[in-house]
Amino acid sequence: MRLLLIEDDPSVSAYVARGLSEAGHVCDVLTDGTDGLFQATRETYDVVVVDRMLPGLDGLSLVRALRAAGGRAPVLFLTALGGIDDRVEGLEAGGDDYLTKPFAFAELMARVNALARRPPVQDVQTVLRVADLELDMMRRQARRGGQVIDLLPKEFTLLEVLMRNAGRVVTRTMLLERVWDFHFDPKTSVVETHISRLRAKIDKPFDVALLQTVKNAGYMLHAPR
Amino acid sequence: MRPADLMRRTAFRLALGVTLFVLTSLVLSSTIGYSLLRQQLVARQDARITEIFTALQDTSQSNDQTDLIEAITTRIKASPDRSTVYLLRGAGGEVLAGSLPDIWYQPGWSAVEAATLSIPTDYPYRIFAGRVDGYTIIVGLTDADLDDLAEISRSAFVWSALGVLLAVIGVGALIATRIQARITEVEAVLHRVALGDLTARLTLSRAGSDLDQISLAINHALARLGGLVEAMRQVSADIAHDLRSPLNRLRIRIESAAEAEAKGLPVAADLAAAIAESDAISQTFSALLRIAQIEAGTSRQKFTPQDLSAVMAAVAEVYTEVAEDVGMTLTCQTSRQAMIEGDKDLLTQAFANLIENALRHCPPGTAITCAVETAGTHVRAIIRDSGPGIPESESDNVLRRLYRLEKSRTTEGSGLGLALVKAVADLHHAELTLTDAQPGLRVSLLFNQIDAAG
Repeated sequence: MRLLLIEDDPSVSAYVARGLSEAGHVCDVLTDGTDGLFQATRETYDVVVVDRMLPGLDGLSLVRALRAAGGRAPVLFLTALGGIDDRVEGLEAGGDDYLTKPFAFAELMARVNALARRPPVQDVQTVLRVADLELDMMRRQARRGGQVIDLLPKEFTLLEVLMRNAGRVVTRTMLLERVWDFHFDPKTSVVETHISRLRAKIDKPFDVALLQTVKNAGYMLHAPR
Repeated sequence: MRPADLMRRTAFRLALGVTLFVLTSLVLSSTIGYSLLRQQLVARQDARITEIFTALQDTSQSNDQTDLIEAITTRIKASPDRSTVYLLRGAGGEVLAGSLPDIWYQPGWSAVEAATLSIPTDYPYRIFAGRVDGYTIIVGLTDADLDDLAEISRSAFVWSALGVLLAVIGVGALIATRIQARITEVEAVLHRVALGDLTARLTLSRAGSDLDQISLAINHALARLGGLVEAMRQVSADIAHDLRSPLNRLRIRIESAAEAEAKGLPVAADLAAAIAESDAISQTFSALLRIAQIEAGTSRQKFTPQDLSAVMAAVAEVYTEVAEDVGMTLTCQTSRQAMIEGDKDLLTQAFANLIENALRHCPPGTAITCAVETAGTHVRAIIRDSGPGIPESESDNVLRRLYRLEKSRTTEGSGLGLALVKAVADLHHAELTLTDAQPGLRVSLLFNQIDAAG
């Protein structure tokens, strides 16, 4: 995967760039907003990671200009602001996702992966499949090995998010945002509780466990090798 | 104060402007008054001349020449100062009687200088010359009265102008000085405020003037500002104090990792703990930042109509199973739509914080109930638990940032949960009350209801 990182804090960019190249990705790093915009419009990237506050041109304006110039690469905002309105502003400017500093590299990687493989057009798949687990979006029904599994509405959404990202790590924060629309960090084990309930329904009665906990990162649904 | 400064003062400029305006009005009214009066006097002078002439005419028609001369001589005697002058000529032009020199007079109305008439005054004369039965009768009247009038008008104007000027300057100076004193005081107070003294206040007069109202508004603003700054000072001190312990723990973890590394022992556990500590610190900071942003009030512009029942139900749904897992029960009673103006994310977080507080501070077996009810023009959201509750004396303190009850000091948590709820409540102009549910804690948020259609 080819990434562009526009970030003026050298310790952050070094940390991210090292992690990305260790994961086998190519990463260009720029520290100035204007240079970043030039580079983002000139080359094709799978994901552009942009800091909100940059010298030269701030992140919001950069992404607006990029979108106005027809740049379609998914954009992940990084910010130290982390405020209530910043997320909305970032998304309105044309960003696709948002990550607050300080962040764990695993969180960044998971979000970059989710962005890079996000289908360019609205997913019209009506049945999602991971191994013998099926999620019928039309009938809003989950089946495993042909056996219908009863799910509560939020459990269905949780499973849907995991299945759409099958094979990729979905972090706790991503689940909170996408399933429950929680844009804060709960102090109790909300995610753990619901994952364990879901696991009891989709994995426990069967031989092979599909829903994995990835230590220090999140959860991943994937077919056994 | 230099003259240039004086000119910049509003009060002084106002006084000067009023003075000029009054003077202009005075000049205008004096001029109009003078010319009207003069017109009137000229008309009366002419009327008097005509009257005398007519009387002499009557005498000439009804009597003989001797009587006419007699009448004129009597009139001349009656005006020894020659303010009224006469001349009677016969049919041949010879002077029969008169107090005027024998010179040519223009028939009809005319004005003649006193010198021409050999009369020792400065005033010209108004003359009428007319023929009656072969005689020529000339009657003249001095303009002295008119000139006196002009003189009176002039001095009246000068004196009144002087009086008005003095009065305006005096009153203006008085008002200007008083206003200036107030303005100078405001400047002095604001200067003290700028230097950091937020206890400085403006003095109010009893008059309740517009300046008093401004002063009152400034005092209110200063009081509010002072309160905010004091609160901020308190919070900064609290933050500095409260972050010392987690930073210390973080340091201990890193030190321990460094020591282990030197001895060739595994360091993974210490590093993981260090990461957890730094995450906790960063969470405290983002919570503080979030509260600060909520308090800034900018989110209010993004308020949209929200069904509080739906928000509460969604939050309760998330936590029902979490509660079950720790041996508690969570029930939610919301039925009717309850619309308020608000921010869904913030309301969600506030309710989540309240439920999480109950989950974390109550023993297993606790029953947590959430409810949203409409009451008249209000909507009340209630979260109640049957746990140990909060002492009545502490119910204000727990809303403060970083404040934690003594018994909760050792448990996980930042002491920011309720502070955020308070900030969200204030942002929504909602009334937050903590009461003893006997047993347990009852937290109530009273919102203003909006029209479901709106």
